[in-house]
Formats: sequence, C-alpha cells, structure tokens
Amino acid sequence: MTRQLTGSPAAPAQALPALQRRGRWSGRTRRDFFVFLALALPNLALIAVFTYLPLINNMYYSTLDWTLGSTSATVVGLDNYVTFFTSSDAPQVLGTTLIFTVVTVGGSMVLGLLVALALNAKVRGTTFARSAAFAPYVLSGVGVGLVWLFIFDPGYGVLSWLLRGIGQQSPQWINDPQLSLVMVIIVYVWKNLGYCAVVYLAGLQSLPKDVMEAASLDGANGFRRFMSISVPLLSPTTFFLLITTMISSLQAFDLIRIMTPLGNGTSTLIYEAYLQAFGAYNRAGYSAAISVVLFAILLIITVLQLRFVERKVHYS
Amino acid sequence: MAMNLDRRNFLGLAGLGVGAAALAACGGPSTSGSAASTSPSDIDFTGVKPAGSFDFWTSHPGQSQAVEQSIIDKFQAKFPDIKVNLVTAGANYEEIAQKFQTSQAAKSALPGLVVLSDVWWFRYYTNGNIIPLDGLIKQLDVKIDDFQKSLVADYQYANKQWALPYGRSTPLFYYNKDHFKAAGLPDRAPKTWQEFAEWAPKLQASSGAKYAYIYPALAGYAGWTLQNNLWGWGGSWSNGWTFNCDSTESVTALQWAQDSIYKDKWAGVSSKNAADDFSAGITSTTISSTGDLLGVLKSAKFNVGVGFLPGGPKAETNVCPTGGAGLGIPSGVSKEVQLAAATFLKFMTEPENTAAFSAATGYMPTRVSADMTAVLAKTPQIKTAMDQLAVTKVQDNARVFLPGADQEMAKAAAKILTQQGDVKATMTDLKATLEGIYTKDVKPKLKAS
Repeated sequence: MTRQLTGSPAAPAQALPALQRRGRWSGRTRRDFFVFLALALPNLALIAVFTYLPLINNMYYSTLDWTLGSTSATVVGLDNYVTFFTSSDAPQVLGTTLIFTVVTVGGSMVLGLLVALALNAKVRGTTFARSAAFAPYVLSGVGVGLVWLFIFDPGYGVLSWLLRGIGQQSPQWINDPQLSLVMVIIVYVWKNLGYCAVVYLAGLQSLPKDVMEAASLDGANGFRRFMSISVPLLSPTTFFLLITTMISSLQAFDLIRIMTPLGNGTSTLIYEAYLQAFGAYNRAGYSAAISVVLFAILLIITVLQLRFVERKVHYS
Repeated sequence: MAMNLDRRNFLGLAGLGVGAAALAACGGPSTSGSAASTSPSDIDFTGVKPAGSFDFWTSHPGQSQAVEQSIIDKFQAKFPDIKVNLVTAGANYEEIAQKFQTSQAAKSALPGLVVLSDVWWFRYYTNGNIIPLDGLIKQLDVKIDDFQKSLVADYQYANKQWALPYGRSTPLFYYNKDHFKAAGLPDRAPKTWQEFAEWAPKLQASSGAKYAYIYPALAGYAGWTLQNNLWGWGGSWSNGWTFNCDSTESVTALQWAQDSIYKDKWAGVSSKNAADDFSAGITSTTISSTGDLLGVLKSAKFNVGVGFLPGGPKAETNVCPTGGAGLGIPSGVSKEVQLAAATFLKFMTEPENTAAFSAATGYMPTRVSADMTAVLAKTPQIKTAMDQLAVTKVQDNARVFLPGADQEMAKAAAKILTQQGDVKATMTDLKATLEGIYTKDVKPKLKAS
C-alpha cells in the first residue's frame, strides 16, 4: 500500500518515503495519512471502479472475437486492431473524426472568442446576451438535435421554407453524407461556442488594465492591442479550451446519434465504436478495439499538448 | 516529473498489469468454449409452476402501449397469480434489441418475454439467447395451426419454432386519392412500377406535391422495402446463402430507382419518415408499413388510398416482403418465468386479442380465426393489408439473417439514391461486404448448430 502511495502527488504521501527510510512514522504523520486516506479513498475507489476497471476490461475485450449477447467468445489477440486498420472503413472513420474535431474545436474557439469580445463590451443588455450565448451549452443534446433536425428537414423544415422563399431548393442535409457532417458540425459549434465564449470572457476580464492603458499611450490601436497583448495573455485560457473542447469533440455522441442514426458520413471513432457494438453489428470485441484506438489518440493528443503547446503559454 | 523505472518498479508495474488483466478476464464472456451456440433440445416443463411475475419488454409497435396494457389487464383478471410488468424497453426494434443484448452481456435483468423483429430473432437464436417454443406450444395447447402460416413460418429454423408472430406488417402502397383524381388517374394502386412511371408526370403536373413518389427513409429499413423493387425486376439481395445483389436483374432494378430520382425527376428520398412526408402532402404516393396505417389515416388531411405493392417487368405479384415483430422467450431466465411468459404469450396471441391489437395499430391479425368484422367496418383499409398477405414472400436471407446487413443495404441505397453513385460498383461492394459478414459471423454458427 505505501509503495503505491509514494507515487501520489498528494502532499502527505510525498513525505512518506523519507519516513519509510527512517522506518517509523510520527503520530502526526500517521494521523495525516489516515485523513488523506479518508478523504481520497472514496474518490479513488469510485474512479477505480467506474473508470479504470472498465478501461482495463475494454482492453481485454478488444482481444476477443465476441458478439454482444453471446456468452462465449474467442481470444484473437490483435486481430480486431488489424481488421480495423486494414479495413476500408478506417480511413473514412479517422478522416471524419479529424474533420469533425478540427472544425468543431476551431469553430467553437474562434467564434467563442469573437462572441466573448462582443459580450465584454460595456453596453446595455450584456447580462442577457451572456445568458443567451451560454444557454445552448446547457441544453440537452437530444432536444437540440431534434429541433435542428426539424430546421434542416428538406421536406418541411424551416430552412427549406426560407430557401423556397427565395426560389432555392433545400440541400439534402440528412441523406447526403457530406452535408450530414456539415449539418452536425454546425449544430455542434452552435451548441458549444457559448462555453468557449464564457471561458474567454472570464479570461478577457482578468487581463491587466495597466498593460492595456500603457499600450494605448504608446499608440497601439485596438487590433494591435488585441493581437499583441490580449491573445498572448489569453494563452492559458486558449490552452485550457484546446484540451477540453478537443476531448469533448472526440467524445461527441448525442447530436450524431439523434441527427444521423446510421452514422452515414458522420461516423467518428466514438460513434463507430457504438455502432459496431450496440448498432446492428453486435461486434463487441471489434468495437472495444476501436475504443482503445480512441483512448490512445486522446492520450497522445493530451500528452503532446502538455509537452509542446503548454510551452507557448504565458501564465503571467 | 522524471520517472526512474528500476527493477522493483518494473516488477510492481508488471504485477499490476497481470492483476488487471486477470481482473478483466473475470467479467464478460467465457473464452473456454466455442463461440457458437447449440440448439437446446425441447425443455421439459413438467412439474414447473409459473412464476408470480415477469417483465414484458416491448417497444409498443404501432403506438400500442394502451392496447398492450388492456390485454395485460384482461390476462390478469383471468390469471391473477401471474403479474405482467409492461416495460418500455426502447422506442423501436433496434433500441429494444440493444437493451436485450446488453442485458445478455450483463447476465442480469432479463425479461420473461421480449419483442423481437425480423432482423433480430435469428441472432438471438445463434447466440442461444432464446428458447425453442415447441415444448411450451404443446404443453399449453397453443393452436399453432390457426396462425397465419407465412407469419409463423418466419420464426422456424432447424425444425424448431423460436418465436410467435405479434406486430406483423407488410409494406403497403399509400396514395393520395385527391391527387390521383386531379390527375385523372384510376382510384387504385399501380399494378407495376412501369405503369406508375407513366402516371408520375401527370401526378407531378397536377398535384402541386414535390414528388410523385418518395422512397422510404434510408435509415428506416431501406433494405426491407427495396426488396419490392429487386423482386419485381427478378433480382434480390440474396438467393439462399448466395449473395446476388450485383446480378444484372438487381442492378437494373436499382438503376431504374436511381433514374426515377435523377433522370425522370419524379421521385425523392425521405429524410426521416416517408409516412410523415406522405401525410404532410409532400408526396402523392409512398410505400410504408401497415403499422403506419392508422397514424396516416389520422394525420392526413386528404383521402388516403392503399393498395398492394407494384410489381416489376419480371414479376407482377409476390413482390411484397413480410416484416414486423414477434415475441420470444429468453433462455437466461428460470423455467418458472418462461412458463409464466408462455402462458401470457398464448393469451396475447389469441384471436380476440390479435384482433384488438390489429384494430389499435393497423398491424395484421396473426390468427386466421380472428374476427375482424368490427375492425374492418371501422378501418376498411386493413383489409388490403390482410389480402396482400396471400401474395407475400419470405425475405431474403441476406437482410434478415446477417448481422448489420440492413445497415449495409441502407448505406448502399444511400450511395445510389442520394449520391447518384454507380449502381453496379456499389452493389459489387455490397456483395463483398455481405459475404464477409456471412463468412465471419454466421457460417461458423450455422455449422455448429
């Protein structure tokens, strides 16, 4: 037990190796240790049971040829990974995941920053505008998906009605796989840019006013102040948003499930994993392998971000 | 942050990894035997007493929750010792299948009776998830000869009966009588698609509707309704276990469908639900399930006509597939629960109850002796569905027996009908996919069973 704790970042645990070397614990250290256990163990137990155990289980299932619903399976080693990476689906799924992630992360952050700049202005009605901008983020993805489906419906949707008004036919948003992806991306960005806007707004409001005033006195215009002062000083916020929105995008599910149940053109890694196991195919082992691929990608992206992107972040 | 991995750390990590792997192996499926199921022999229910209660998992096909509950109430008046818990286990056949499969994996919370659709029951059979009903049919004296033969035969495999028909449907041809009248067309469904192709321009010119015909939504069982086109042209998704969706006949059939959209421009493809599009007046005709009949009659603001599915150049009749759902009993519950569920299954499928179910939903009565006089007096269109039953055809193996085939068919149909993809190339790809699914997921299990 104590060996595991030596690796913990918690302060009481850091003191343990030295004490162990001395071979005894003082009364206070022992008391601190029990307090640490009492506070941390319930959370650690929950994380272990509901995060790490399923993760390990999933890795094990990825080595099986297992049909969901069947009580037996065959161990196939890395066959599921080989099947995925050599199938014609892999480039399509990975490509869709890449497009969806890049566009939704980029779109949410850029539009979120623009909205935040607008919301930061000292004019009447900004409180209402801030609430309105954030509202879509807290709405249910299922509800949002259903409403937007009605808007995009080429037969009797609101968009179709507007387009007919100017003599245009509605595009086949739902049946055309490429347009389906565009449709889902638009809705995803609309739903999530409020989150980026609020976080950026907090960042903008914490920028030091004296630096801005000094730059103004030196003759820097608004754009120059924004590019040379605001953007660099917002880099911790940008870095935080980059990590959280990228993870959210790679895990996006509800809108895709509601708006394009077959995943035709919108099958990202996570949706493909769902379709393979819980859709029509019931390939639980294969689905687990796709999930592991997604996990590995998330892990690599996060490590790369922490290692390289964070270097460019100005914390003060 | 630097980590020194000495020998002790390495051994510790290795131990942790082995422990984790061992822990993971404790759950999930067994890897000690064959993945294939074996057909259980007849189960002996002698001396078994029915359980006091069981769950009935349903998706309420055809918005049938109220009629299901009323049949349950009648059952409990007759069998007060058996409580039936009506459980909404999903909004459609796929969701209920998902829940059922997940419960199988978790080995818990299984129902006594479950709704299973045409494309799912065979998978339950190959996985050993459902029991054969032959012993229970005999013990409870279920009048199997009184069921519609084609409907009950759909659930027979390896000389056993794996389910009984419940919310059974066929596709129907729906048409807007007002549009037909305005176009000067006869008040009937077309006999063939060629005849309809002649009618379509007249309909488009006079009706004001966007389309003369709308193909059903591709996410809504495209593989089911497109069998009508394939069979009419002498093609199919498969013939037995031979996958011939790339045959000249099949390709010609789907090329004709593509031309109706892109060349002749009188047809479209529904985005969500063809029955809703039809009711909304977007199209003059469509094909949809008999289970949509009452909904369409209720929501349409015009006179609705229904008819048999049109034939094609090679076959004018027997071009309508059966479909819909049956009821099965899981293998993972106790014999007591299975017997209680079978007692209710017998009651649920009795003539007066199947007539009541049909009246409430538009699904076909599954019993020959069901008295439909009152139902037909109220909704005469149901008679068309009943009459069409005589000219239905069992679905292609590829659609109903291959896991995920319906989805692959929908994707192929999307390429052809919404992206104007090359028909021959798309069907050749589909054939390869279907053969792959058969070889990997079905063939080994058929050999073992």
